[in-house]
Amino acid sequence: MPEEIGEKARSRFVTILRRRDAQLLIAILLMSAIVDVMRPQFLTSSNISFMLAGSVVLMVVGTGQMMVIVTRGIDLSVSPILGIAAIAIGFPAQNHNLNILVAVVLVILIGFALGIGNGLLVTVAGIPPIIATLATLSVYGGLQFVFTSGLTVITLPHDYVAVGLEDIVPGIPWLILIGAGVVIMAELFLKFTPWGRAIYAVGNNADAAFRSGIPVRRILFMTYIICGVLAGVAGFVYLCYIGSADSTTGSDTNTNLMSIAATLIGGTSLLGGRGRPLGTALGAVFLSVADTAIVVLRILPIWEPAGVGVLILLAVVTDRQSGPAVRRALRTRHHAEVVP
Amino acid sequence: MSATVTEGVISPPKLQGLRYEGTSLRKSFDGAVVLDDATITFEPGEIHAIVGENGAGKSTLVKILSGIYQPDSGTLVLGGERLIGLHPHTAQQRGIYLVPQEPSLMASLSVTENLFVGILRRKRVSFVVDWRPMRREASGYLERVGLDIDPEMRADDLSVAQQQLVECARALVHRCQVLFFDEPTSPLTEHEADTLFDVMRSLRDSGFTLGFISHRLDEVLAISDRLTVLRDGKIVMRGTRDQLTRPAVVSAMVGREIVTRVRERGKRDFTTSKGMLAVSNLTLEPYFRDISFVLREGEILGLGGLVGSGRTEIAETIYGLRSAERGSVEVEGVTLAHRTPRACVDAGLIYLPEDRGRHGIFAEVEVTRNVTAGVIHRLPRRGPLLRPAAERRMAEEATKTTAVRMPTIDALMKTLSGGNQQRSMLARWLLAGPKVAIFDEPTRGVDVGAKDDIWTLVDKLAHDGLACLLISSELTELTVICDRVLAIYEGSVVGELSGDDITDARLGAMVVGSVAQ
Repeated sequence: MPEEIGEKARSRFVTILRRRDAQLLIAILLMSAIVDVMRPQFLTSSNISFMLAGSVVLMVVGTGQMMVIVTRGIDLSVSPILGIAAIAIGFPAQNHNLNILVAVVLVILIGFALGIGNGLLVTVAGIPPIIATLATLSVYGGLQFVFTSGLTVITLPHDYVAVGLEDIVPGIPWLILIGAGVVIMAELFLKFTPWGRAIYAVGNNADAAFRSGIPVRRILFMTYIICGVLAGVAGFVYLCYIGSADSTTGSDTNTNLMSIAATLIGGTSLLGGRGRPLGTALGAVFLSVADTAIVVLRILPIWEPAGVGVLILLAVVTDRQSGPAVRRALRTRHHAEVVP
Repeated sequence: MSATVTEGVISPPKLQGLRYEGTSLRKSFDGAVVLDDATITFEPGEIHAIVGENGAGKSTLVKILSGIYQPDSGTLVLGGERLIGLHPHTAQQRGIYLVPQEPSLMASLSVTENLFVGILRRKRVSFVVDWRPMRREASGYLERVGLDIDPEMRADDLSVAQQQLVECARALVHRCQVLFFDEPTSPLTEHEADTLFDVMRSLRDSGFTLGFISHRLDEVLAISDRLTVLRDGKIVMRGTRDQLTRPAVVSAMVGREIVTRVRERGKRDFTTSKGMLAVSNLTLEPYFRDISFVLREGEILGLGGLVGSGRTEIAETIYGLRSAERGSVEVEGVTLAHRTPRACVDAGLIYLPEDRGRHGIFAEVEVTRNVTAGVIHRLPRRGPLLRPAAERRMAEEATKTTAVRMPTIDALMKTLSGGNQQRSMLARWLLAGPKVAIFDEPTRGVDVGAKDDIWTLVDKLAHDGLACLLISSELTELTVICDRVLAIYEGSVVGELSGDDITDARLGAMVVGSVAQ
């Protein structure tokens, strides 16, 4: 592996090109341009804001997933958390005209509570995240099923529909404001608060973090709660955007896989310690644009999951840091022992 | 050569023996020479002990001989045949087997399967494993190494000592005639060690070639036929057991060179200084027991001892990484009852870990954040948000104090050399404003220049009032900068030296368990 130290001559342009968010932006623009040439109605302003709005659910839930993956964990229960949040406010909204602000508070509380469940299993019981959240995936999914008792939310009060479909000011949909708000707050949180910084420290080297005085278990706990809350908020966004919810909400759109995909495509390291909300957001936009492109190009939608899989592979293998690390880790374990 | 092993019947094979020679072996890691021009010969029918302090190069030498490391230069000749590009696998095929320090059996597999892994016997249909003859053979091999166990037991149901013997049996199964043991006795009790020695003697008497690393002088002198002493990567003494005396070996191990710096601190009297860290009756079996001492303001107290003597466990227990069975820790007169790293840091007690890579650095992160990691919760803020510019200035100042050399402070930690990583770790802990510092092997894996700098820095910090507990397996380090040294042997304090009484020779005798005259 060539070392990149001290090569100051490298042009700034190349440096920027090496950044995952820049690569993604270029990929998004390139893909849009190509599709637009083939189907000229693709890049109309209404379609652009449609695609951006369509990425917001993924953006919000992916931001939480990203934080968990940064700590070397994973949350497989975001899909039922999203679903439970959506139906828990969907039915009161449909039947009793639940106030929309109360609904927002409610989804946050639900996400918080379900996130606590994951956090307890991972930090107090010490169960590996993949197993703990696989268990809660089942439990929460079952609860979602019980709560709906087979019913579907189909009609929503006007203010919910407005949040889902209308602009706050002409040209800027409500949803994009929500998505941007979540991403900016997450960026600030991760970069400029001690807790956010601790998340990266734990993901990089939990042992060293603990010895440095960082309360590792508390930080992990917090991360699962944040992920739960964001999944809950994503449930609200979903309900407003789609306009309906039922017992399969969340799992029907494959929220688990897609949130992980957006995160990895957005440059988060599978090995932990590295990742940004902005990258995840761009990953979500990328997936949304690709999704629309599939429709517009009249490619059979059954190809979509395979396409997502290929994108994940590409994202991990082309990653400058985790790519080689993953390959090394897969190859052999002997090399771990280098220093006498 | 033919160590004929017929199925089921194991008679001690008559070996014609393999002579194994390493000539002018050299090895360096990242520019630091750890083995320099080592020439050594292992004769069949002999137990050859390699002794030396920690870091002297013993393990490196044996790892080269067993194919784990490739030497930078030098030759290996086994039974008259030159070995080129030796790897662990080819070494085993050639008949060289390394019994590792910690047995590395496959925990959930049976003893039989562990013994025969890689050479499972097949039935006539070649993909069907033929277990019956293997079980029969296994019992024979186990008997040969003095093990009376059911070959169908799972490996992790065995004690460490039994697992080690299974490793020996595995070497026999694979028809290895050259066996190396890397500190085999450190996880064993005395009685278990005796059993192992009996097996080693019996192997020797049947013509095997045995190499053996240890830092326990008593057992070395008891069992070996020949000794080679390593110090700082060089062979400083060799001879048969009869030619060498105990004091000669001790002084060869610890060296008598004049140290680079003169101890200026000399006989400063600390008895009237303020007690900063008081440890009493701290016990955590089986690692250490009844450790008591008072560390005073501005004092450098050394904890001398070999790897495995319990030094690091003592430090980790003080810092709250392990829970003590009993005993107490006071910082500045205040008892720290429920110790966690955070509580200790807040009380002014910091711990620079021995294993920098695993427990210290964040390799993929910039130096800045590495340095401020110990004080994340105390960083300058505006409202709820941190101020990166102010944080950067803090980090810059701290790295300047500890003289970290780096391209920029935004360089990733992994791009720095070992010495500079260690300086960054010191910078991290200086930012925490410590009153008491535990430095665990502060100069491990750093080059000579950096070593001297770190010593100077620790010395200066102590002058400014920092109470330092310095753990080292390098005697020179302790004699150069400590005001007082406690010698730890097998988890107990066996002696205390202070001022000019701290000499390599006295300390060396104490840490290998023979009390000074």
